[in-house]
Amino acid sequence: MIEIKDLTKQYGKLTAVDNLTLSIPAGEIFGFIGPNGAGKTTTISMIAGLLAPTSGSVEICGIDMLKEPKQAKQNIGYIPDRPYIYEKLTAIEFLQFTADLFSMTNSMTKEEFRQRAESQLKIFSLLDWADALIESFSHGMKQRLIMAAALIHEPKVLVVDEPMVGLDPSAIKMVKQMLIELADSGTTIFMSTHTLKIAEDVCDRIGVIHKGRLIAKGSVKELKQQAVLKRQAKNQQHENGDNVDLEQLFMMLTESEQI
Amino acid sequence: MQDIITLLTPRFRSIYNQGRASSGSGGIYKYILIISLGVSFWGGALYVSLRVLRYFSQIEEMGDILAFKLLSMVIITIFSLLIFSNILNALSKLYLAKDLKLVHSMPVHSYRIFLARWIETTIDSSWMVILYTLPVFVGYGWIYSPGISFYLITIISLLLLAIGASEIGSILVMAAVVIVPASRIRTLFVFLGLSLFILLYISFRILRPERLVDPEVFSATLFYFKSMSTPSSPFLPSTWCYDAVLAALKSEILIAYFHIIIALSFVLFVGFIIVFIADMVYFNGVSKAQTSAARLFGSARFRIPFTGWLSSPVRALVEKEIKTFFRDQTQWSQLFLIGALICIYIYNFKVLPLERSPIQTIYLQNMLAFLNMGLAFFVLIAITGRFAFPAISMEGEAIWIIRSCPINLNSFMWIKYFIYLFPLMILTLILIIGTNILLKVVPFMMVLSCINTIFIVPGVLSLGIGLGAAFPSFKSENPAQSVTSYGGLLFMILSALFIGVVIILQAGPVYMILSSQFKSKPLALFDIAWIGISFVGALLICILTTILPVKFGEKRLKKILFDIHS
Repeated sequence: MIEIKDLTKQYGKLTAVDNLTLSIPAGEIFGFIGPNGAGKTTTISMIAGLLAPTSGSVEICGIDMLKEPKQAKQNIGYIPDRPYIYEKLTAIEFLQFTADLFSMTNSMTKEEFRQRAESQLKIFSLLDWADALIESFSHGMKQRLIMAAALIHEPKVLVVDEPMVGLDPSAIKMVKQMLIELADSGTTIFMSTHTLKIAEDVCDRIGVIHKGRLIAKGSVKELKQQAVLKRQAKNQQHENGDNVDLEQLFMMLTESEQI
Repeated sequence: MQDIITLLTPRFRSIYNQGRASSGSGGIYKYILIISLGVSFWGGALYVSLRVLRYFSQIEEMGDILAFKLLSMVIITIFSLLIFSNILNALSKLYLAKDLKLVHSMPVHSYRIFLARWIETTIDSSWMVILYTLPVFVGYGWIYSPGISFYLITIISLLLLAIGASEIGSILVMAAVVIVPASRIRTLFVFLGLSLFILLYISFRILRPERLVDPEVFSATLFYFKSMSTPSSPFLPSTWCYDAVLAALKSEILIAYFHIIIALSFVLFVGFIIVFIADMVYFNGVSKAQTSAARLFGSARFRIPFTGWLSSPVRALVEKEIKTFFRDQTQWSQLFLIGALICIYIYNFKVLPLERSPIQTIYLQNMLAFLNMGLAFFVLIAITGRFAFPAISMEGEAIWIIRSCPINLNSFMWIKYFIYLFPLMILTLILIIGTNILLKVVPFMMVLSCINTIFIVPGVLSLGIGLGAAFPSFKSENPAQSVTSYGGLLFMILSALFIGVVIILQAGPVYMILSSQFKSKPLALFDIAWIGISFVGALLICILTTILPVKFGEKRLKKILFDIHS
């Protein structure tokens, strides 16, 4: 579903993403973790077609993003880390706007769309604010609305940048559950996050990016094994024996890279 | 005092840092363009002032009265402009700015935050007004040669006038915020716009400038000027400023200082009062302004008519654009302002005493129609600059939606283009046809004006959308002001150039055609060829200007948004 080949992005002399190659099959949740400034958002921007790579390619459902951006984007739902939306529209109008942009309302009657939009708003606990202007929404409400809009056209690929920023605990729980259900129904999810617990809870595989390079990749179990091997190689002792959690693993990987 | 300086630091550091960041090779060209424009405007204003004052100085007895009356009118205009611009700035800086929550969370007294904001408001609202009216005062100094102290007194008087206007503006804004319900604070902009409309219209009609070209009322006008030499109200800060400048002009330095002291005492006294008021009501006002807004035009579901036939992505963008525009109340003040300008513009043609003019009427009517075309197109530039130029920047931080959705940048730009094309076309046609009917022009001029409008509006709009896309400011708190940026200046210069070239290309042929019509003389073959080449040239320029700027804007925007070099 997502094929990334030798993806590189340079800003002048700085290499933000360095030769990244990844393949994410349908129905997988891939977590992308790394310290601030590691290149996560740049990678996500290139996958979602917001930014052109310096070299390399991104394919979404077999469509090259650089060559056919319009067709490739048709299959994507994108959720940015900061919820900037048109403040003068109402929630339902924003959903209508998104659905129209993705041409999904062509195959639906107004009533069908309204039902779909309302059910989407209900999932994200926004139904009571369907006709309120977005400018009166809190940060978390805007974030939830963006999620509802990203899913309104039932995308095959969901690209999410820091999904839980600004959400309350019940919304976080709901979003985690929703991501798992979407993946079960065949949606591919590429998600960057700082919250390692969330990555551990929902991701099938995790990639660790540092200074633009992918320094580790695999399931949580595989990554933990890698960490154990690393530790053994360095003869480090740990109070929990050879059990490491994702946070410790993250610190080990990124710190050893810094050294 | 230290707190106030600290609160002001981010603003001035930002200006300094931005200046440093843009001082690369491209930045230098920007500065050269902006400075040379500023200098040429300044020089032009000085030239016009000197011409007018020299003309007045040649009129016996009446000359000085006219010159001093003009000075008084200039100072009253400056004062009203300062108050209005201070009210607008104070409302947004004191109550609606995005960083207010941050500064109010700091351990600083709210009246000190008020003072820091007020200083910023005063500087922002006054520097341009004062800088660009200075040539008028230099003109007076040039003609009357009163000595160097005149300039010193003028600058001090203008500074005191600016501070006084800013104090009055702040008091009015604080009072309005106390009186108006919290949810209606943003609606104040609408009422401000409406009051400006009425003020502009009434003041312009009171002046009745058309009387000056009517010989029959000239004797009455003499009485009018006599009555003008009576002083204005002694309680207005503008009167103290005028008295000080006038005394300095007559080299009565002590009298000038007396008036300056009156102005200074006013500024200091009101200064203490506003600090006192701010301490009592400012913080409560800020809290009120944080409340979510109730709207003049609610968020009730409304459908935009005639969009059903559009493809759904196009319809989405069209509906979003129209709804966003009409729900943004800050736009309404601008709409009222434009309404006022158009009413005044058309009405002035109605009251022109053409039949009493010594020039043959039919020539004058058609000459005025040609001139009117140029003027109406300059109104078009101003309106396009205010609404269409910032159209791309208005997407703001939500531009990620356009970047991530399946729509070409090219389509996105042309959709914006067509949204603005129809209102601008209709507006310009109303201006042109309305004034032409009032001028009773010949059918040829009417047809020519309409054809010109149909070809020039798309060109000017393309420059607006194209350059607006080439120089966007998505992070600006007020994108509507982007027309005062480098890209905006470039838009205005290129649009004026475009209109100038098209009109100049037609001027000769139009004169030929009108002459042959009035003298009933057929056109020579050479003349016909010349007319043909000129009109085809004008048409080609219009077509190129309609296509190329949008393409240029798209290329630049692609580079900015996607980092794609094409």
